[in-house]
This record gives sequence, C-alpha cells and structure tokens, in this order.
Amino acid sequence: MQGYIIRRIIGAVFVVFLVGTFSFFAIRVLPGDFATASLGLDAGSANAETIAQRKADLGLDMPIGEQYANWLWDTIRLDLGTSFLTQNSVWYEIGRSLPYSIELGVLIMIVGFTVAIPVGLISAIFQDKPLDYGLRGVAILALAAPVFWTAAIASLVVLQWDLFLIDVIGQPHLWEDPGRAITWYLIPMFAGGFAGTATTMRLLRSQMLEVLRQDYVRTARAKGLRESVVIVRHALRNALLPVLTVMGVTIATIIGSQVILENMFNIPGIGNKVLTSLFARDNPVFQSVVLIIAVFTVLTNLVVDILYGVIDPRIRLS
Amino acid sequence: MSERSYWQRMNRKRMSRRGILRASARAGVGAAGLALVGCGDDDDDGQSVAQVQQQQQAQQQAAQQQAAQQQQTQQQQQQAMQQQQDQQAQQQAMQQQAQEQSADDRAAQQQAAQQQAMVSAKKYGGYLIEQSANVYETYDAQRTVASPVLQVLARVQSKILRFSNPDTGELVGDLAEAWETPDSTTIVLHLRDGVNWHNEGPGANHPAAAPGRALTTEDIVWNIDRQRNKLLESGEEAGNFGRSAYWGGVNTIDQGDMSVTLNLVEPDATFVQGFANEFNLINQPELVGGTEDQYTEVSADKVIGTGPNILTRWDPGEGISAVRNPEFYDLPNRPYLDGWVWVQTFQDPNAYRIAFEQKQVDSMTDPDPNTIFAIHDDRIDETYLTFQGVANTVAIFTPSNKAPWNDLRLTRAIDLATNRRQLIQQLHNGLGKVSGPVSWMQEGWAIPQEDLENYPGYRVDKEQDLEEARALWDAAGGPELGQIDWVTSELWASRAAWSATPGIIAEMFNQAFNTDQFNGITKPYLEIIPSWIAKDFDPFFSWIPNIEIPDARADMIGAFTTGAGSNYWDVSDPYIDETLIAAKQELDYETAYDMVRDVQEYVMERGQFGRSICYNYIYPWIGYNYNRVETKSDEEGWNFLAVSLQAMEHYLDLDDPSASDREAPSPVAL
Repeated sequence: MQGYIIRRIIGAVFVVFLVGTFSFFAIRVLPGDFATASLGLDAGSANAETIAQRKADLGLDMPIGEQYANWLWDTIRLDLGTSFLTQNSVWYEIGRSLPYSIELGVLIMIVGFTVAIPVGLISAIFQDKPLDYGLRGVAILALAAPVFWTAAIASLVVLQWDLFLIDVIGQPHLWEDPGRAITWYLIPMFAGGFAGTATTMRLLRSQMLEVLRQDYVRTARAKGLRESVVIVRHALRNALLPVLTVMGVTIATIIGSQVILENMFNIPGIGNKVLTSLFARDNPVFQSVVLIIAVFTVLTNLVVDILYGVIDPRIRLS
Repeated sequence: MSERSYWQRMNRKRMSRRGILRASARAGVGAAGLALVGCGDDDDDGQSVAQVQQQQQAQQQAAQQQAAQQQQTQQQQQQAMQQQQDQQAQQQAMQQQAQEQSADDRAAQQQAAQQQAMVSAKKYGGYLIEQSANVYETYDAQRTVASPVLQVLARVQSKILRFSNPDTGELVGDLAEAWETPDSTTIVLHLRDGVNWHNEGPGANHPAAAPGRALTTEDIVWNIDRQRNKLLESGEEAGNFGRSAYWGGVNTIDQGDMSVTLNLVEPDATFVQGFANEFNLINQPELVGGTEDQYTEVSADKVIGTGPNILTRWDPGEGISAVRNPEFYDLPNRPYLDGWVWVQTFQDPNAYRIAFEQKQVDSMTDPDPNTIFAIHDDRIDETYLTFQGVANTVAIFTPSNKAPWNDLRLTRAIDLATNRRQLIQQLHNGLGKVSGPVSWMQEGWAIPQEDLENYPGYRVDKEQDLEEARALWDAAGGPELGQIDWVTSELWASRAAWSATPGIIAEMFNQAFNTDQFNGITKPYLEIIPSWIAKDFDPFFSWIPNIEIPDARADMIGAFTTGAGSNYWDVSDPYIDETLIAAKQELDYETAYDMVRDVQEYVMERGQFGRSICYNYIYPWIGYNYNRVETKSDEEGWNFLAVSLQAMEHYLDLDDPSASDREAPSPVAL
C-alpha cells in the first residue's frame, strides 16, 4: 500500500509540474504582454522606450529560459510572486478569491444534487410514464441550454421586474451578510446547478433501473417489504455509488470551473481571476492560479485513488 | 454649425425610431422641452447652490437672483425657439401621423424628464459611483501615456491652466490665475495665491510628502525641468516622460516671486494650450521625487495634489475613492460632489448591466451600442444618453517612404480605395464620422463633414473613388506586387466585436482592386511602434496616437513637416513646411484655421502621403437623470478628455425621482 501511495504522489507531482510549465509558456505564447496591455487604448501613443522600460521593470525583458528557471525555483520555494496588476502578493490574491469559488461551488453542488437525486429517482420509478418523459425532457433542456444563456435570461427577468438585488458591487460573503450574498449567488447557483443536474439525474435513473431489475430487489419485494423501503434502502443506496464518484469529480473541479458564471456576476473567485489575469497578461497570477487549480484537482483525485485502493485491493495490485 | 446639425441629425435618426419626434409633433410640452434644452444654461457659476453652509447664504441669494434673471432670458429665447420648433414639429406630424401611441408617450415623458433635469440648479453633495479601469501602470501622470491614470489624477492634482471648453480649447486659469505672452517666444505665468498642497489623506501622511505647504514657483519649475530634461532625482535619465517633446519647447525659465517666465525655443502659438493638456499635471516634488524608484507601485499614499479631491484609496483591480478637498482654492463651492467611488472593471457586460440597472453604479458604457440603446429604451423616464467622440483616431498607414509604396500612385490608390463609411458601419454600428488629415473632433481646424464629401477618398459616391483607385493601381503596377500583408494591431483585433477586422480590411482592398493579393494579419504595438520610429513599417490599420489637445497644428507639423518626429513617411514639401510653420506662429485663429485647411486639401490630393486618416468613432454613454455630468449640449458629451472640468462641475441631484432607490456608496474616509 505504501508503494502504491508513493507512486501516486510522484505521478501527481509530475502532473502538477507539467500543468505549471504549460501555463508558464501558454501566457507567453499569447500575443501582447502586461507592459502593452496596461496602456490599453493608449498603446498607440507610447514610444518604444516607454514600453521597453516597463518590460524591464517587470522582468519581462529577460530571456525566456531565465524567466522559466526563476519561476521554477520560486515556485518550489512556494514564492508565487507579486501580481503585476494589483501589486499584491499572489498568495493574498488566491486567499481572497478562493472562498468565493468554494461558496459558489458548494451552492451549485447543493442545488445540483438536491434536484438531481429526487428527479432521477422519480424518473426511474415512473419509467416510460408521462412524468418520466417530462422530467427527461427537462433534463435534456438543462443539458442543452448553455449556462451563460440560462444565467443571462434569468438576470434579465430579475431586472425587468426588479425582483431582488444582485449585489455585484458589494460582493458579500455568506458569513458576512447571508441575505445579500444569497441573492447575489441565486442565479449563478441555479444556472450552474441545473446544468449539472441533467448528467447526474440521467446517471441515477439508469443506475436505478438496472438495480431495480436485480434479484435481491425482487427478493426484497417477495419478502413483502414496503415499496418505499425497497427503493430507498435497497435500490437507491446501491445506485448512488456511481453518483458519488461523479460527486468526487465535481468537487475536484469546483474551484476552477465557474469562469463564466463568476464573470457574469462579478464574483471575484478563482475563475474570475483566471480570466482577469489572462486579459491583463498578469503572468504571476495566471500561472499560480492555474497551478493551484491543478494541485486541488490532483489532490482530490489522489485521495479518491487511494481510497479506491483501500476499498478494492485489486486496484492497488494492478 | 455643421457639427451641431450632424448631432441633431444623428439623434433625430435614433429618436425617430422610437417615435420621439412624433411625440414632439403632438405635444407642445415636448417642443418646449426641446427649446429649453437647446437654450441650456452653460454658465453655472452664478446659479443657486442648494444645501451650502449658512455663511454662504448671501452669496447664494445673489446667485439665485442671477439665476432668476437667466431664467427670464431663457424664457424669452424659449418662446422664440418654441415657435420654430412647433413649426418643425407640425411638419413632422403631418408626415408621420399613423404611428403608434405608446412610443409617443414614452418620448414625451423622456423629454419632460430631460427638461426637468436640465433646468434644475446644481446640487451640492453626494458620492458618485462608477466603474474604473483595472490596470494602472503608475501614479505619476508625467511618466505615462495611459489615460486611465489621468482619469484618477486629474481629479486630485491641478494643471497650470485648464480647459473651460475642452473641444474648442477655451482656457481658464488653474494654478496660474493669469498668463501673458509679451512676445512670440515668451509666456509669463502668474501663480494663484493661497494654493496649498493637500493637508489630509494617505498622501499627506507619506513620510516623503510635505503636506499643507503653499505652492511655490519652485514647484512649477521643478515639474517643467524634470520633463524637458527627462531626468529623475537620482540623475538617471528616464525615457518614459510622455510629454517631454512638448516641454522641450522651453528654452529657459525665469522665476519671480509668484510668477514664472518661460522663454520658448521658437515662436509657438500652440504652446499655451498645452498647459491645459490633461496629462500636464503638477506633482509635488518632495513626494514624487522621493518615491521615483517605486513609480509603478500604485497606491493612494504616493499621491498628493492641490486639486478638488483628496485620494483616499487606490487599489488597482479592487477600488478607488476620493473625497472633497476642504481647502480647495478654485471656484466657490467646488467641487459639487462630496467624493467618488470607483469599482473595478466588470469583465462581463452582464455584470455591468446589472450594476447599472440596479443603480449600483451611476453610469454605463458598452462596446456594443445596442446594449446601451436597449437599456435606455427600457428606462427612458429615468436615464439619458450622450454621445462622444473617441480621441484614438483610426487610420491606414502606407509606407510611402520605401519601395514599392514610394510610388505616390499606389499610395493614392490605397487612400481612394479605403471605404471609410463602410468601416464605420461594419465595425462601429454606424457610430462614427469620417476624419480628414485633421480629426473632426478638432473643431475649427477640421474640414467640415459636408465639404469633406467632395474630396478624394471621402466621396459619398464611392464608385468614383474606386474607379480612380483602380486606374492608379493598375498604372503603377499594383497587380504585380504579389501578396500584400496588411497589419491590424493585436489590441484592436483582440476585441470580440472587431476580431474580423484583418479580414475586413483585406477584403475591402481585394474587392476594390478586383484581386486576392491582400491578406490581413495582426501584430502587437510592441512591434508596430518601433517599426514606425525606424520608418520601416508594414501597411497598417488601427488606432494611431491620441489627440491630446484640440489645436491641430502640432499634430500636423509632427506628421508632415520635413524631419519632424512623427513624419514616418519622410514627407518633405516646401509648401507644407512653410505654411505649417507660419500657422504655428499665427496668433489669429481664423487665419491659422485657413492655413491648416489649405494644407489638408493639398495633402488629400496626394493620398495623404500614406498617412490616411479614416475616422473617429463615437460611443454612447448612459446615465441616470440624477447623475449630471457636464456635457457640451443636451445629447453631446466632450470629445476630448474633460476630467478636470468634470471634477469641478459634475454633480448629483439626489432629489430627482430617478435617485429614489439608489444606495449611496461609502468611500474610504480621510
């Protein structure tokens, strides 16, 4: 088991290294740099000397190999540098953004699974009945509608009838001002939640249908157990196993996957940070945020892999 | 006159879509509203000021009397104008009788709301909340060309003079209360008495600052010397002083007790206007000189000024705020605002729209004008629109200084084939106006739009231009040139709405010359700008450097006279040199206008020598009725940067019904 864990950790470190290296070069391959981007529309007014001096101030004039070596050494020492844009430490920027992404991600998961599990269950129980068709239709619609479209339409509805305040300026945390925070998160959490619902609901429905045809379910019914007991205690528990796997994957991507929703509602999370730093060519923040997302994803998968190994020795041996 | 009619035509076109003119035809109130708005009071200095301290009551009463007199005059003008407008309205009504009623009602309400907003007196107090830029490269306005920096600093710091009309260049005193030009190379500045550097706020608390001390002539001399010599306090030369070329025009400086005398290198009638250039802000020597090694580390504690506001927060990417300078020297009761709060840029228009529609910000702009029009249509009772030109001129550059483009026939062919009006439609939803060698924004200096229509490259009948273009292209051997890569700046093409531009430009020329030779590519300014300076550039389409002052002479001299700094085409023409140098020294504006226009005509007949100015576009701005920016007219904003003017004159009318459910922001306190 120890050897298995060590192998997995070495693999994880290698993946993180590759992602970090990729992000380092990716932002430099893109046209432009912070020195030019910071001038915005006025770049045409700048003289070459101005831009060159700005690049030198930021260390962007060094050979790419030297920049890479510096970045690698600093990253190993957990020194992520300073944001070109805000001039704050990158750790500070990440610490500021992470809670927002976690809040939104958790809310999306709550909505997603709260809706998906009962709907998938009902759909399976009423297989090929009008209710099943209706629910599956809604699920397909949720899957087909892009999340930005759903969110934009919902926003326009809220604005048209002035339903509630979407506090895109105040950016309150749930623990600071729950009322304002929840109305701010409301549309993104439902838009994101519904988009994720469809996959989980359809997965649960097919699992339930398979489980409900198993011998032990038939035996349970033959024993005279109530239908609710058969479904909840015998069928659902087994059908949920693959759903839990999906949940694990969802958690792994929770902090980096809400780029669109975070930007649409000015939520200063990690996704927002990725886009802002990319547009501004804020290299230290972009590289570090991508690295953090990779570390989080790899760590979650590592834990899942280790747990699989604990549960099933065959995985460990293979 | 022509400018004014253009705007009227433009707005009428939009209003007509929503039936607004139909409303004015039927409703006398609407016509009266238009008349009143047309007579809008431009001089607000003498108007009543609400909620001012008790010791200012006497002054307030006098101002109220004056306002009453003005109102009386307005009413007389209003009656005359109303008669005219009623006649127009009746004609329109006859033409457009069978139109829907609901749009009419909305339009009448809008006009009534606008009328009410325009005639109300300026109000004192309130905090403005708007979106800011995210990226600021420095806190030192003298070492940047980035306008976001001055958008912040021009509200906090002062200039030697400032524009009372940024578009025509009318000047008033700022740190200098008066100025003289005893001869063509001498300017005497008489500094204002009683001007003190900020005594409170983060900047005043910086160890290097000298808070509360009086402004001296040494301060002015230090700022000028620093820029003309391009030298830092360490003795190191810095290449990023954005206006060093302008200040290089000063030969020697003499100091008096409260006066500074500048002796210019050569006669220059344009020099005085440069004092009011929004970038020419005066730094405190102690603070800026003492922090020069950290000039890219932007924060409020490195900024101190003498201006109407004191900066209390400047955290790029997070927020900025300022409050009123209680010891401001200038006009009484200025600034009107208690302060302002700027939130960071919204990356997504959805967030910006939410913020505006829920009154979390007081104004909005958007690259897509249709978004602004849609919001305005939805909230016609409580919002208003203004349109303003963008000083980033759009141009086509052809390298006429080198083969094969040094054959003037090719350069002329490109200039003629450039379909400026089509580009405005394709890229800017029709919101823009063609510009000749001098931008239409430089009122007086530019060739009027209706005259421009008769010049090659600008004809409304484009087919005539294209016929001439094809003949020149073929005669000069254009078809034998092989593939021609036409550059668009990456910054331009990186905007979603303009991403197809390289292809559009290539297609425009391919169609014009019936060929497939042209190919659109992109390059960063980092490559483009050095190639201009080296005079070894590829054919180009994009923005060219900002116009900073309305006087066009300096730009024209820079671009077209022999050996000038921005003459990337090596134009050397005795007629141009002689006329422009004479124009630069001419103190009579009418004569100078004529000289510059003559040169423009001459240049246009020659394909603009490869510097083919295309157009300046226009963007719409929407604000709530309670948010009263200083505008040029009822629907026209300032085309040039007008930050100093807004810092003085911008006010909030929080008694306006549109402010009913607005939440007041809180700036960082002093």
